[in-house]
This record gives sequence, structure tokens and C-alpha cells, in this order.
Amino acid sequence: MKRKSVFLNRLSIQQRLPLLICTFLLLAIVLYGLANYYSLKKAALIIGKDRLTSVTGQVSSMFAQSAQFLLKASHNAAASKEVVQFFKTNGKQYREESLKQLDGLSRDTTWVSMELIDPNGKTILRSEKSKVKVAIDASSVIAFNHLAPDSGTVGKIYVARDSMYYPIISTVNESQRILGYIISWKLLKSTPKALEQFSQLVGTGAGIYVGNTDESLWTNTVKPIPGPPIKLNHFNDLIEYKDADGRSMLAKSDPVPYTNWIVVIGFPEKLLLSSVNDFMSLIVIGGVVLIIIGVIAAWIMSRNISRPLTKLTNAATAISQGDYSATVDIYRKDELGELANSFNIMAIRIYKMHRELERKVNERTLQLENVNKELEAFSYSVSHDLRTPLRAINGYSVMLKEDYEDKLDAEGIRILNNVIGNAKIMGQLIDELLAFAKLGKKELTLLKVDMKQLAETVAAELVHNEEFGKYKINIDPSLPPAEGDGPMIKQAMMNLVGNAIKYSSKKQEPEIRIGAKVEPDRTVYYIQDNGVGFDMAYAGKLLGVFQRLHSIEEFPGTGVGLALVKRIIDKHKGQIWADAVKGEGATFYFTLPNN
Amino acid sequence: MPNTVEILLVEDNPHDAEMTVRALKKANLANKLIHVKDGAEALDFIFSRGDFSDRQIEDKPKVILLDIKMPKVDGIEVLRQIKANEITKTIPVVIMTSSKEEQDIIISYDLGVNSYVVKPVDFEGFAKAVSQLGFYWLITNQGVM
Repeated sequence: MKRKSVFLNRLSIQQRLPLLICTFLLLAIVLYGLANYYSLKKAALIIGKDRLTSVTGQVSSMFAQSAQFLLKASHNAAASKEVVQFFKTNGKQYREESLKQLDGLSRDTTWVSMELIDPNGKTILRSEKSKVKVAIDASSVIAFNHLAPDSGTVGKIYVARDSMYYPIISTVNESQRILGYIISWKLLKSTPKALEQFSQLVGTGAGIYVGNTDESLWTNTVKPIPGPPIKLNHFNDLIEYKDADGRSMLAKSDPVPYTNWIVVIGFPEKLLLSSVNDFMSLIVIGGVVLIIIGVIAAWIMSRNISRPLTKLTNAATAISQGDYSATVDIYRKDELGELANSFNIMAIRIYKMHRELERKVNERTLQLENVNKELEAFSYSVSHDLRTPLRAINGYSVMLKEDYEDKLDAEGIRILNNVIGNAKIMGQLIDELLAFAKLGKKELTLLKVDMKQLAETVAAELVHNEEFGKYKINIDPSLPPAEGDGPMIKQAMMNLVGNAIKYSSKKQEPEIRIGAKVEPDRTVYYIQDNGVGFDMAYAGKLLGVFQRLHSIEEFPGTGVGLALVKRIIDKHKGQIWADAVKGEGATFYFTLPNN
Repeated sequence: MPNTVEILLVEDNPHDAEMTVRALKKANLANKLIHVKDGAEALDFIFSRGDFSDRQIEDKPKVILLDIKMPKVDGIEVLRQIKANEITKTIPVVIMTSSKEEQDIIISYDLGVNSYVVKPVDFEGFAKAVSQLGFYWLITNQGVM
């Protein structure tokens, strides 16, 4: 059951319905056909048997009538005074008269021999009309028939010289004493007319067998034939057998009264069942036609269902692949039509929503592009227009100092120096702010970065301008490589190591440690110093732009450096945080995802 | 032919111009310097047109210090015309600008600029850069005569 359902599930709806209908129709037709076949066959056999019995009886009585007729003539001759006297006088008297009687028996040419025979079977008188001497010993024929006085019989059929003969025997008696016998041999040969009558009676295809009761000979009344392959034990029963051509036959046998003959008539079962077979052919043809019609109808029906489904599937696929204008053209009033309608409404809504979304995205993109352009224009003007007057302030202050230093007192020079210094810091601020802003729109170029080499380079570049030997920079020799944008990562390291150097510069033995820890998804890099550290209460402010935790007199700086680092790490989808103890140092951690 | 002009300074901002000239003077490099105030004037000078029509185009300066952001004709256009002309394209051109715009840098190098310098804000750095430039292009570098 489970296997069947799996098999059915593998078929498409279009295949399933015709298959099911075909199966059910086949089952129904086979069941109906079989049930009818058996009852019809039974009925047909009963009718056939009745007919067979009646036909066999009729044939048998036809033969019996003939035999009776022949015996009567023979009996009359046997009972004639002349024949009795002939025997009584041992053939001395009434010879001529007896011959006349014998001659009288012969009606046509089929009578071949008429004789008088004594009780020992010896021929004592023979009709002149006898044309053929039948080469059969009359005494054995009589002995075989065990006739009672005043009786007669038609004897067995014998073959002699390619012809079949049968004897008609009557006793010649006087007072219940058998004086002798009158025996007349007749040729067994049916006329074509008689044969036609027979076949009309029994029907075409039927087999007629006439034979001796001891089954010593069988004939179809024209010539000897092989007997039916049956045992004639029960005369009343029907016998089934197969004839020489292999046809199933149904036969009935009947002994013929007044003779030693038996009649067997066989009907081909097919003939009996012809109506049943006709019915079956009708059922088969009708069934095939029904199944074909059913399958075609089911095919059309299921196509009616599966076609809209295919259309719906195609449309859904199209939508899923981005063609939001896809709809289905199914105009039906049934459930599928409703489904198609709902689908179309959904598709149109999706289409509208998609268009609206696209419009919004385009709008926002345009807005964003405009903002970007404005930002670019802004940064351009900042970089150019702000720097130019700043340079003038700085330049003229320097010129003033250079050209008029001798005319200014110490306070004047201090003030002038402040102007120069602040202009310089503002220049730095502008540069760093621009770099920070530009970072936002910069695309990442991810490549493998050798962090160990990068850390060494950064350290070397930064320490270059500082007092050599004062800083102890310890780089973990097994610093794992990272996946990132090289220049950006370098900028971040530069700022972090730069900070570490800056904030540990006032220590006696400044020490900076660069290391990393590999985790399953990410690598945590850290830069540790033993500098001034900071109060963890302000850690949240650490990474904002222009946020500083130390005064500019204590440690110079703009407050952009760490914000820039955070931005770089954010762009790499990493995290950054810090850990510090005031006066004892700080550790900055940042993570980069492992690929 | 000796160069009658060694440095052509194209600069619209008089303060930047003054500072540049001061820095070059200090380095003793401003003897043969001419200062024009915008791109149009610069083109007239270079191609001997208008006010400079009595000049010989072949009398090329040793270096042109060119600002980008100028009224009328900007530095990029001046650079384009210099580098498109068979005679003038051999003149070394140094862009000196406040702009760090990548776009400007890329276009300039595309057009064949010989050097691109972003002017530092602080005067000391500025003066140092200008004098180094002057030394390099007037003395160190061997140009096409």
C-alpha cells in the first residue's frame, strides 16, 4: 500500500487520473464480464444439454422407426405359412413360395442378400435377388444376438469389401419353438438427402456417430470412422471430450431400440456457447471502447486541471525569478479559476509593491547620491577653501614673526606663537576630519594582511621620530594574518600604536605589547601599553569623534584617531573595545572575522 | 636660448602667491619669476597671445607652478592645453593646490602633470615644499631646451 502510494506520488496529476480511471473501469468491466460469463455459460450449457438430449433422442428414434419398419417386413415374411412349412418339411415343400417371400423383402438395391437359415446357422435357401454373398458367417451373427422365439433384431454393422452391411434377423417359429431364421443383409449407405436432414436436425459442426453397442465399429452412416474418444458407460450422462481437431465437444449417447446400435451426437462446446462468446466479445469491445473513452475523458479532465496548474507554476516561477509582471490567463468559474484570480490579484499586488519599493529605493538612492555629492562638494570646499585662509593666517603670522620679531616684546611673540600653533592644529583637524569622512564612502579591498610584518612596519615608522631605545615594543612573533583592506588596517594600527606610544611617553620604561588570540570565528588583536591609562567610567566616550580624555597640554591630539579606528574596524565587521586602569596602562582590542 | 622666464606662477590667491614668492626669494630662486592671476592669463603667456603676443612661444619657462581652483579657466584646463601642444608639452608643470581630491590627482596625472603637491597649511612646511620644488626643477632637473 505504501509502495503504491509512493508510485502514485511520483506520477503527475495529469497521469494519475487517467490511470486510476483506467484501472477502475478495467476492474468493473472484468468483474461484470466474468460474473455474466459464468451465469450465461451455465444457462447456455443447460440449454445445450437439453437440446443435445432431445436431438440424440430424435435421431435414435428415427433409427428405431426404420428398424421397426424393416423388422416388421422381415417378421411378416418369417411368420408366413409358406416359410414355416418350408422349415417344417425340411425344405421339401414350399420352396418356390418361400423364395417369393424372400424376394419380396427386397425393396431396392440396398438389399444385398436374403436368406433362410437353420438353427445351426446354415443357409438353406437364398433369394435369387441376392446380388452379393456377404462374406460373414451367418451362424456367428445369430449366435451373437441370442434371439428369443418370435423375435427379431437389427444386428451389428459389419464391413465387407469396403461396404458396410447390417443384418435384419427374425425368428421363424412354431409354438414358441425356433425353426430357423430369416436374415436379410442391407447395405448401410445414407443418401445425400438423408444426410442433409441429419445435419439440419443436429446443426452444423455437430458430430454424428452410429456404432455397434460393443463399439466394434463406428460410422457416420457413409463410411466407417474412428469412434468418439469416450467411454460409453453411462448412457444418460453427458460426456465431454476433445475431437481430432482439438475442439471441446459435448456428447450424448443413446442406444437405438430394436437394434444393436448406439447413436452418439457431439456438439462443439463453442457452438453451444456461441451466444456467450458473442456476449463476451461484446463486453471486451465495449470495455475497450469504454476504457479508451474514459482515459481520454480523464486525460482531458486532468489536463484541464494540470494546465492551469502549470500556468500558475510558470507564473509563480517567473515572479520568483524577478519577473513581477507575470500573471495567468485562466478564465474559469471553478476553484481553479478562483485560484488563478487570487493568484493574479496577489501577483498584481506584488508587482505594485515591487514597483513602489523600486521607486522608493531609486528615490532614496537619488537622495543618497545627492547627499553624497553635497558631502563631496563640502569636503572639497573644506579641504580647499578652509585651508587657504588658514594657510594665510599661519603664513602671515610666521612672516610677522620673521620680519618684526625685534619690534615685539615677549608677550607679543607668545601670542603670535599661539596663533601660529592653533592655525597648525586646525589644519591637522581639517585633514583628519576629511580622512574620517572619506573613509565612510571608501570601498574595502579585502586581501590577506601579514599582521606581524604590518605591526613591525608601523612600530618602526612611529618610533623613528621618537627617542630610540626608550620604547620597548613587543610584537608576538606568531601574530596571525588577517583578511582586510591593507592600507586601512595599517591606518588603524598606526593610530592605536601611536596612541600607545603617546600615552606611555611619560613612563620611565614605556612598554608596548602587540598580540592576538584566535577564536573560532574571529581573531582578537590587542595593543597594550603601560601608560597613563584612563578612567573606565569614560570608556564610552573613547571612540567618538573629537572626544578626548586628556587635556591637549598633557597629550596633544585632535580626538579623531580612535574614531577613525572604530570606523575602519566597523567596516571590516569587527568589534573594538578598550580596557584600562588609570595610571597603569590601557589595552585596546579589535577583532577581524576569520574567512 | 636663455630662458627669459624660469618660473611661471599661476595663482589667483594673492596671499598664497606672496608666500610662494617669499619662499622662492629666500632660496634665491625668484629672479626670473612671473606671476599670472588666472588660467586665461596663463594661457596667453604660454601661447604668446593677448598681452603677451610679443613673446616667443619657444621661450619656455623652466617650470610652471599651477593652482587648480581659479576663476575663468581652471588649472586642469591650462594643464590640458599645455600638454596638448607639441611645443609646450615638454614644459614641466607642477600642480600646487589645497585640494586633496583624488579626482583632481587622477585627472592631472592623466593629462601628464610632472608633479602634484598639496600645499601644507603651516607656513614652515609650505615654504620648505616650495623651495625644494624650486631647487629641483630649476637646478637639479635637466629639462628640454
